[in-house]
Amino acid sequence: MNAYAKRVFNLAYQFSGSYQEAEDQTQEIFLKLYGALSKFDFQRSFTAWLLTLAKNHLIDAYRRTKWERKQRDDFDERTAAGPLAGDPQDALEREENRRLVWTSLNDLSPDMRMAVILRDLQGRSYEEIAAVLDLPLGTVKSRVNRARLALARVVEEKRGGQP
Amino acid sequence: MTCERPQELFSAYLEGTLDPAVRRDLEDHLGGCPECEALLAGLRKIDAAVAGWPEFEPSPALLTRLKAIPTARKKWGFVPDILLRPSLQPVFAGAALLLVFVSFIFLAPQGRSFQKAVNRQVHLGWNAAERIYAKAGSVTERLGGYKDNVVSSLRTLNILKKSETEK
Repeated sequence: MNAYAKRVFNLAYQFSGSYQEAEDQTQEIFLKLYGALSKFDFQRSFTAWLLTLAKNHLIDAYRRTKWERKQRDDFDERTAAGPLAGDPQDALEREENRRLVWTSLNDLSPDMRMAVILRDLQGRSYEEIAAVLDLPLGTVKSRVNRARLALARVVEEKRGGQP
Repeated sequence: MTCERPQELFSAYLEGTLDPAVRRDLEDHLGGCPECEALLAGLRKIDAAVAGWPEFEPSPALLTRLKAIPTARKKWGFVPDILLRPSLQPVFAGAALLLVFVSFIFLAPQGRSFQKAVNRQVHLGWNAAERIYAKAGSVTERLGGYKDNVVSSLRTLNILKKSETEK
């Protein structure tokens, strides 16, 4: 239970950018999960099924409430957690890049955002992502690539806009 | 080679899954295209930044709420899931407060006296407003009287001036 809650909560937090919103969305996803358990196909992976349900809920909620107008949580120690080892200059640059990635996620469409979160922030394999998004492998690879290009452009734009 | 096709290969290039011949073609393109070179450099920076992105443990309060869902569903099985959503909780809390307030006014004995006091204040306020309105009316009438006096005085003054100039 805790492991599933952790996966859903982190997906919701990375997608919405708000800790409070992520807690509410996780609760709503679990409410839906208990309601839909009777429809679970035992031939399928439970994790993939749960994450598909979570992904559908998050994208629907995003379209309904237009989170893109809201700010993401500040990129603070909680968001940036994880020691940045190595040369301090490199560590600083990496932290700045992390901050830019975090703030730029809201500029991606929900499908693109979900693809880049699953692949790059969560490190899932293309096969896992294909199962979650319920798409062919080739489509997933192409979507992840387009999402990365879009993110890189937004990040560079934000970097260029800084003094 | 235009830029669209090479850019489609960037992820596979960074992940090292490109066919060697395609890889060489892409590297040839990159050598002569500063735009693609810069975009690829941006992707490399993002790649390094997102490695080891932190994951968080859900708060104990959230875990408690999640664990309570099966029990709540049994207890409130007749209620559609949509009404159990956390986003509706502030609405329900507001509605409950409003109901308590309304019942306090209409049902409790102290509520009746409160209602009477409110009615009295409304009544007094209405009377005060009427008095102000009546006073305002008399002031307007008085001002009208002053206006007539001033106009007739001015006319008389004009007549006197004219008769002096004629002399």
